[in-house]
Amino acid sequence: MMAKSRVAVSCLLFSHPMRIPARNVFPMRHWCILFALALVAATPPLANADTQQVDFERDIRPILFANCVGCHGSDQDEREGELSLDRADDALSDADRRIIVPGKPDESDLMVRITTDDEDELMPPPDSKKKLSAEEIELLRIWIKQGATWPEHWAYRPPERHPVPIVEDSEWSPRWIDRFILARLENEGLRPSPDTDPVTLVRRLHFDLIGLPPTPEQIDHFIADAAGRVSNEPSTTGDAGNPVADLPQFERAYERLVDRLLASKHYGERMAIYWLDLVRYADTVGYHGDQDQSISPYRDYVIESFNDNISFDRFTREQLAGDLLPGSSNDQRIATGYNRLLQTSHEGGVQAKEYLAIYAADRLRNLSSVWMAASLGCCQCHNHKYDPFTMKDFYSLIAFFADVDEDRHFSNGGNSLPTRRDPEAKLLTKTERARIAQLEAQVAETEKELLRLKKEPGADTAELKKKFDRWSHLLKEARSGARLTMITKAIQPRQIRVLPRGNWLDDSGPIVQPAVPEFFAGLDITDRQPTRLDLANWLTDQSNGIGGLTARVFVNRFWYLLLGNGIVPMLDDFGKQGELPTHRELLDNLAVEFIESRWDVKHMMKLIAMSRTYRQSSLEPASLHLRDPYNRLVARQSRFRFPAETVRDNALVISGLLVTEQGGTSVRPYQPAGYYRHLNFPKRTYQHDVDQRQWRRGVYVHWQRQFLHPMLKAFDAPTREECVARRPQSNTPLAALALLNDPSFVEAARVFAERILCDGGESTDARLAFAFRHAVSRVPDARENDLLSKLLASSRKRYESDTKAAGELISTGQAPRAENVDPIELAAWTTVARAILNMNQTITRN
Amino acid sequence: MNQYLRHRLSLTRRHFLGSTGAGIGSIALNALLNRDVQAAPERSREKPLALRAPHFAAKAKRVIYLHMAGSPPTLDMFDYKPQLVKRDNEVAPDDFIEGKRFAFTTGKPLLLGTPHKFAQHGESGAWLSDAMPQFRAVADDLCFIKSMHTDQFNHAPAEMVLYTGFPRMGRPCMGSWVTYGLGTDDQNLPGFVVLVSSGSNPSAGKTVWGSGFLPSVYQGVQCRTKGDPVLYLSNPKGMDRDLRRMTLDTLGQLNELEAERIGDPETRTRIAQFELAFRMQMAVPEAMDITRESKATLEDYGAKPGESTFANNCLLARRLAEQGVRFVQLFDWGWDFHGTGAGTGLGKGLRDKCATIDKPISALIRDLRQRGLLADTLIVWGGEFGRTPFREGRTAKSKVLGRDHYPDCFTIFMAGGGIKPGFTYGATDELGFSITENPVTVYDLQATILNQLGLDHTKLTYRFQGRDYRLTDVFGNIVKDVLA
Repeated sequence: MMAKSRVAVSCLLFSHPMRIPARNVFPMRHWCILFALALVAATPPLANADTQQVDFERDIRPILFANCVGCHGSDQDEREGELSLDRADDALSDADRRIIVPGKPDESDLMVRITTDDEDELMPPPDSKKKLSAEEIELLRIWIKQGATWPEHWAYRPPERHPVPIVEDSEWSPRWIDRFILARLENEGLRPSPDTDPVTLVRRLHFDLIGLPPTPEQIDHFIADAAGRVSNEPSTTGDAGNPVADLPQFERAYERLVDRLLASKHYGERMAIYWLDLVRYADTVGYHGDQDQSISPYRDYVIESFNDNISFDRFTREQLAGDLLPGSSNDQRIATGYNRLLQTSHEGGVQAKEYLAIYAADRLRNLSSVWMAASLGCCQCHNHKYDPFTMKDFYSLIAFFADVDEDRHFSNGGNSLPTRRDPEAKLLTKTERARIAQLEAQVAETEKELLRLKKEPGADTAELKKKFDRWSHLLKEARSGARLTMITKAIQPRQIRVLPRGNWLDDSGPIVQPAVPEFFAGLDITDRQPTRLDLANWLTDQSNGIGGLTARVFVNRFWYLLLGNGIVPMLDDFGKQGELPTHRELLDNLAVEFIESRWDVKHMMKLIAMSRTYRQSSLEPASLHLRDPYNRLVARQSRFRFPAETVRDNALVISGLLVTEQGGTSVRPYQPAGYYRHLNFPKRTYQHDVDQRQWRRGVYVHWQRQFLHPMLKAFDAPTREECVARRPQSNTPLAALALLNDPSFVEAARVFAERILCDGGESTDARLAFAFRHAVSRVPDARENDLLSKLLASSRKRYESDTKAAGELISTGQAPRAENVDPIELAAWTTVARAILNMNQTITRN
Repeated sequence: MNQYLRHRLSLTRRHFLGSTGAGIGSIALNALLNRDVQAAPERSREKPLALRAPHFAAKAKRVIYLHMAGSPPTLDMFDYKPQLVKRDNEVAPDDFIEGKRFAFTTGKPLLLGTPHKFAQHGESGAWLSDAMPQFRAVADDLCFIKSMHTDQFNHAPAEMVLYTGFPRMGRPCMGSWVTYGLGTDDQNLPGFVVLVSSGSNPSAGKTVWGSGFLPSVYQGVQCRTKGDPVLYLSNPKGMDRDLRRMTLDTLGQLNELEAERIGDPETRTRIAQFELAFRMQMAVPEAMDITRESKATLEDYGAKPGESTFANNCLLARRLAEQGVRFVQLFDWGWDFHGTGAGTGLGKGLRDKCATIDKPISALIRDLRQRGLLADTLIVWGGEFGRTPFREGRTAKSKVLGRDHYPDCFTIFMAGGGIKPGFTYGATDELGFSITENPVTVYDLQATILNQLGLDHTKLTYRFQGRDYRLTDVFGNIVKDVLA
């Protein structure tokens, strides 16, 4: 017993400093805590671990993977001693060798080899520099004693619906999502956080579902609706609102809000930002001269699809194989742009064969990351070390895409802007077609009316005629507005070989046919060559494919979008080297729900948004930080800086500049001169938009892979070379400089100042209240008010003495300036507005 | 002290036990069993550039990497091949050519000696061609590696494999790995600065100073010699520094109020980053301002204020290194000596091009030594691959001499930073077709550079897409023989 208790102490001492990330305040504190831990840990003995169930996935697999599987792995050619410790059948079934004898640790060779004193026998071998700790050996012993259960890796088991756990506090929430979360919290001796206040909740929901801030009116409306009254009294609640759960009135109002936002056309834009990162959508080819390419209709298809809530299996099918669907529609053809999103090189003299191999691998990495959360990229050169995938699987999957016509650019895709990446087609998006239909109706109606009036002598048709001309003109414009976009066209499939060690020059590998990874069953087509369509179906078919895995991958990402973390922390790796789900059963139930809802994305988003888990406060008490520094137990909501596009959109909404038009060619905001100076083949100069497009949402900004707009880059938007399921969150001086000095933000501050002066009332206090309500949905407190009033006074003084400077500041940007505003006053308020736009809370979702 | 901290500090033994509602037994077992909650701590998000201890004692504190984009013809600069000169214009022997592919050469090419005169210099007897006259004075500072090789023969992939360990985009570059591994000394300047000269980025574009899958805070910051040295560094028009200071003070206090109310450390990081941005506004233009140098120094380097030459960049590299910038990466365009025009001819073309680096690099070495910085500053010079010992196919009949791309062998040199001075390592055959001793891969070079900085290249890893990635991929051996 004493030995065990020492183990416990050292384990605590080692694990806790890691659980407390370094903070930039008082490092001494760690020592206090360590000291406290050492004190408490020294006395009572360790509870009898034998009575606790060891969990293979959680407790044992990590030990085997960290220490054994490097040599005893799944790759038959490279494993040592013909022993695989990453698969149950190998380790357990070999009766002769008695490696692991369930129930009998003392008779298991594994235990002997990891505990022996004989250096020649000891595993892991001393020269591997790996060493099992006493507690790891103990866990292995307990596990074998408890029967050495070795289930299939969690991600590869089909999800099943688990019974909703019983919780002590059944009052907290009747919803099953909440019950799973609460059960785990209760098990850990924790409580969920209190509900957040209504204002924060409305803000959070707006950012999460549509990526735009609520207006003060929208907040007031919700507060009134939740209170069962309709009124226009401005709310004065800030972060400290009243607890609001369990009020039926509130529930209904909240649900109405969720529904309204999910129905907003901005919902699709918000979801697209995430999807476009996954599929690495960009406006340029990537390699070498990074020329523009024609693809923006695909972006609009994604937005429309999320808005129309087309089922996720259909969404998958249309992108991978829309051209193979019977009577493939206009939108389905646009959707197949997905297969063309990979990077291409338009450099003269590149080896087509080499680049086709690069494209194929690029495509496979993306497909497997997006839909399977699997790191199949490893198998380009060798069988996967940890997951059940082989090189043959990799190239067999590639073979599904062997019919994609994509080598024409080697001959005709030069250095023009945009370059050509045939096949391309001029197509109208759904939104554009709807507009045309609407205009046609208007023109037809006006025409009819004109004809009727013609028969009436003396009728004045001039006005109507004008209308008719305008609409006819718009119609003509709309009809000719079809944009060129890359599509997938099937041709005679290329021959696909396994490339030994990924070497495209080596033609000695076997030829492969389209096939799904052998480890997964399900695609039993023998009478014909399987197609991309079969693959797409297989990805979303639960019984004859890996639909269960795909569903898990995506509900995990929806969870992440709304809670700030995945149930599986690694959003693109569900493999054995990845991390475990914190709530495996909840993940399963969400996946089953997703499938049973017929892949209804809005349904899943609503389900999570309605949960009380979602509605918790994001404040983090210190005790919780110690217990769960990464918020994996979800005892609170998350708090994080907006994604890059939202940082932009938010400032545009607050200033009133945002142009909410949807779709179309990509837009070009202001950008520092000379930023493309070193971009060659061809040389190019960036010309920012001089019309309304200047103020459109970030999702529409021209995505130059090699020279991504510096503001987006500073706020961690990816260059879209690879699948990105989770953007990093940096906090850098470059981001601070962008937010302070990018003309888009300075212009926003200037226009916001105009708005404050024109609409914010007469007194400074009223104006500051107006400004704060627009920026952060609450009024400033006395100290904030005081700080900003002082800044206003100093700034005013400064500009009174230098009217030229005032004139310069308020000339930033091309937005027209209100004529009746005093330049000095405007400049002074621009300073204040800029400070407000730069506040941390202004760019934080909490 | 704010509420958040008070809360933290009020932790007591009773509190810790009480809050879990269980005794130590279950805590200990939790520690054993609940790995899913504890799993891998992320690198501090609040201070990603904070100084971090190396894996072991470092020889060099910083790197200045001088990259000649396009790949210089080292056979005409440092790697003297008398036999090649002797057999000039002979058809290249079959066994050297067979089974090989070249970018622009097919059939039977002609061997090409060199139009330049070679001689040995310094006590070390380093071979230098007359295109590099100023190097004679620093010959004994240099350590040549004449047995470099790569597996890429096009510029962009070769540059990427050299800097990111992988021939395609998406991985972090050397400078990013280094700042990720070590953080940075100077909190007023970026830790990794890139300077580009001769009018173009390298072929691989910004990928070779990109952070790939590492957080963007580790990407190289390109300091521009025209416009703002760092993007968005200037105040908006009509906003002077005083007003900027007042704005930042107000902003800092507003954020401080939020930090007190919410307790999220991210807010304090934001405050710190705005402050750093403010300091950078002063520090970067100052560091980039070479008019602060003496006339003598400017002349030594051949630098002229207002230009964006390699000479200016060498001087800037010294200024930045002096101020603690961890990794200064220079790219100079125009070294692709195919002989397709006078400028890329091996005769006058190369002589003129060499003149733009000969003086500045030797000045840089001398200057660093004078300031006591050479010992812990590692200078690396080279291209992304080599050039053929024969005339390239397209220009074989031209009056202008040129060489094709050649991945099998090339020469680089290092100086300072714990590398053996006055030393030559590795060799190729008498015609310069293949390595005859001590081959060094680009991964070996990466491992060696990291080693000098106190980093073990096998331990500097980052988890991405389910795998621990490193700069050297699964390769790399430290070239121990060149270490001082």
